[in-house]
This record gives sequence, structure tokens and C-alpha cells, in this order.
Amino acid sequence: MHRERVPACVHPETYKYFLDRDAVLPTWARLAARYGEPRRDPSFRTMEVVAPRFRVRATFLGNPVTVLRQRACTAADIEELHALLGYTE
Amino acid sequence: MATAKDLEDRLAMRYEPATYRRRIAGHDVIIHCHHYNARVQRTLEGARGIDGKGLIVRAAESVFADQLARAGRPEDDEAARFALAELLYAHLGFGRIDLAQIAAGVVTASSSHFVEGWLAGLGQSERNVCTFTEGYLQAAVFAATGAAVTVRETECMARGAACCSFVVERGERGPVAPNHKEPAIAAPEERGGPFVHSANVDEQAIIDAVVGIPMVGDAAGLIPAFSVYLANMPADFYNQICISFVEAMRGLGREKAAMRLLISDGEHCGMNTFRGIMHSPEWDGLIAPMVRDRADALLALIAISNALGWGDWHVTAHTPTSLELDSRYGYEAVGFREYRGKASAPQCAMLTGVAAGVMQLVYGEGTVEDRYGTFASSEDRCVACGDPACSFTVERVE
Repeated sequence: MHRERVPACVHPETYKYFLDRDAVLPTWARLAARYGEPRRDPSFRTMEVVAPRFRVRATFLGNPVTVLRQRACTAADIEELHALLGYTE
Repeated sequence: MATAKDLEDRLAMRYEPATYRRRIAGHDVIIHCHHYNARVQRTLEGARGIDGKGLIVRAAESVFADQLARAGRPEDDEAARFALAELLYAHLGFGRIDLAQIAAGVVTASSSHFVEGWLAGLGQSERNVCTFTEGYLQAAVFAATGAAVTVRETECMARGAACCSFVVERGERGPVAPNHKEPAIAAPEERGGPFVHSANVDEQAIIDAVVGIPMVGDAAGLIPAFSVYLANMPADFYNQICISFVEAMRGLGREKAAMRLLISDGEHCGMNTFRGIMHSPEWDGLIAPMVRDRADALLALIAISNALGWGDWHVTAHTPTSLELDSRYGYEAVGFREYRGKASAPQCAMLTGVAAGVMQLVYGEGTVEDRYGTFASSEDRCVACGDPACSFTVERVE
């Protein structure tokens, strides 16, 4: 998997993570177990899980996932998320 | 005592499809992002020789005193009125304010749309930035108690504080200005046109989807959507600050500079906000499948801006190097007419800037900085001047 930085006024460190195809469903299962069931928006065909200091949002396809950080988001928060996603630099 | 449900019901949004206007507690609200709001604030407060901060405080006080009065009920006691003020602030997306200690003259805020905007777009600040909230709190005290007070921010998250803190100072000051405007300018009955459309882009589906999003503050009183923080700002507030800013600058012989600055804020907004939108999951989910070429992207962006309440504007002609748009009921032009009567010159600075910004975004290349200024826009006719529609022309700068 890899990630790409995307322009987003919400936070300068906003990335899209491109999951490996086989990893999409297991990754969302891990996200749901850790942060709660995804909320779905049928109008825009998006879904998201909301963590205390960031959101993980994607289309219904579940891939790529965009991580929208709040200003209070810490390196530890991202480290934990990366472990869930299976992302390493 | 009114229940939380009673108060929430009073703030329900009503949408008018003919003009794309959203109405909350008797006020048309326009959805802009934290980036635009912070930039406009900087424009006013950064202008030398005028009291830009005072313009923002007075506008917020006047407009929200009116909106809170409209949301109130005669049977509301003081506690209910303060609860309503807390709720409206969060509901509109401005953050969280805690009014529990306001009788002692102390208010805190744990989240702030304007702080987020300032830090994301303009960087760390050397001074407090919650000018808007100062005015809002003055309005809240007036709506709850009838007292005209002065609110001053003493600590600000934009300067690294854990929360924003405000003090309420009671003492001699002038009365709260009424939000006076008349007569109301009715929406046009005819739909206008012909307008340019694309068979690929279902503009109504986009508008319906955006209008269908519950654009209300989350647990933090913020509205994170399209990779930006949005807020429902009363159109009257934008009208008041922009009109009074241009008038104050006119007094210094700098009216044209004032308009150029406001247009520039719109241009940056058009590029930055829409760039974020075009990279958002919401775009990927609904809109990207409709977009076959750059013209489609442009039409989709215009549809989104209409759903946000910006202008009831539509493309009348379009090439990769030029764009013409008509706005039939833009809040800038209509608001000017209602506050000041007929204008001698066009007044829609935000739309003028955004028109150039979207062309730079869709047809430009490189970074935002590379694209800035590569298209020039002008407003050639304006509802504020008595014309039936506002007309904008954008052309590539050769």
C-alpha cells in the first residue's frame, strides 16, 4: 500500500491511503472494531469512522481511505492508525 | 424551561429550491469554509487606517442579536436564552462556547471555526483571533438580558492556549445597532437562461446531495465536510462587514483597493476550497463518476456553490480560456440593495473572485501560487445596480 498527500484545508497533513485490494475488507473490520461501525452517507456514497482526533473517510468501495486529522491529532494517534492500516513509511 | 429538543426545533434549516437559499431562525445562511472566513477577517483587520476589528464585532453583534431574538420565545427565561445562544453557535458550525459562568463575566470556548481557519490557512497568530466570537457573545448577552456589553478575548487557541477565554465587561457603551434593512428584494420569478449544461453532470443530484447533508455542528460544534470546516453564516453578516469595509476604505480614498482585496479573498477561496473538495471522498463518491472533462468539473463545482447558497449562478458561455456566468439572486447584490438601496457600481466581490478562482483551478497548471492571477474576472452587471441579474466575465490572462 502507499499514501499520497492531498490538498485539504482541514489539515495540511491529509493523506489518501491506497490499500491493497485484498486488505480492504479486513482493514475496515479492524477500523470498525477499534473506532466503531462506519457511518454511511448514501447521498455521496461515502462512509467513515470517527476517532477522537481524526476521521477515516472513503467511498462505499472502501479504498482509498482519506484520513482527516483534527488539529489536536498526535503522532501517537497516527502511529496507532498506521498499525491498524498496516502502513509503514 | 425549554427543553433541548424545543431549542433544536427552532433552529431547523428550511431550504428554498428556487433560490438555493437556506434559512435558519429567520436568517438566510451562506455556507463558507474556515479558509474564506479567516481570510476575510484578516483583510478587514489588516487594513491600516480603519477599525476592521470593530466592523466585525459590530456586525456579529447586530446580526446575531436579531437571529437570537427571532429564535427566542417570550416565555424563555434568561437561562433558556443563554442555552439557545450556546446551541445556535454550535449548530451553525462556529464551535463550542460555554456560557455557564457568564453571569460572573467569564466565557470559554473549547473549539472554534475561526481558530481552525486561521491556523490552517494563515499560520500561528501573534494575537487573539476570535473577533467574531466577541461580537457573537455581545449579541448573546443582549438577547438574554437586554444589556449592551463589551466582550474581550483574553486567551486564544490560535496563540497556543488550551481554550479560548473571554471576559464580559459592563460599562458605558452605545446601544446595540438594529439589523435594519428594507425593502426586501424578492427572488426573480423567471428562471433566466439559457444556461450551459453537460449531459454528463447531474447538477440537481449534486445539489440534492449537498442540501441533504446535515450541515450542523458535530460534538465540537464544527462541520467537517469536503475536507474543509464549513459554517452556516448569516448572509447579513457578510453583507454588513463587506459593505462597511468598503465604505470605511472609501473614506480613505481606497475603495478600489478594498474591492480588490475582497475579490482576492474570493479568488483564493475558489481555488483552495474547491481544490480540497475535488480531492475529497465526497467528490470521489458522487461527482467524479460524472466528470468526463474539465468543463464537467467546472459545472459540478458551480452546482456545489449553488447548493452552498452563494449565488444562484449559472454558466452562460464557456471555453477553456473564458467563462461567463449570470447570478440571479446572489446574497452580495441582494444584501447591498436591502441595506443601502441601488448601487452605482457592481458589489459582488466574492463571486467575482470565485469565478476566476474556479477557472484557475480547473484549467490552470501547477501549484495554487502558480495559478493565482492567471485568469481575470469582472462583474459587468449587478442586481445591486438594478440589473435583472449579475453578469461575470472571466478570461485567461495572456
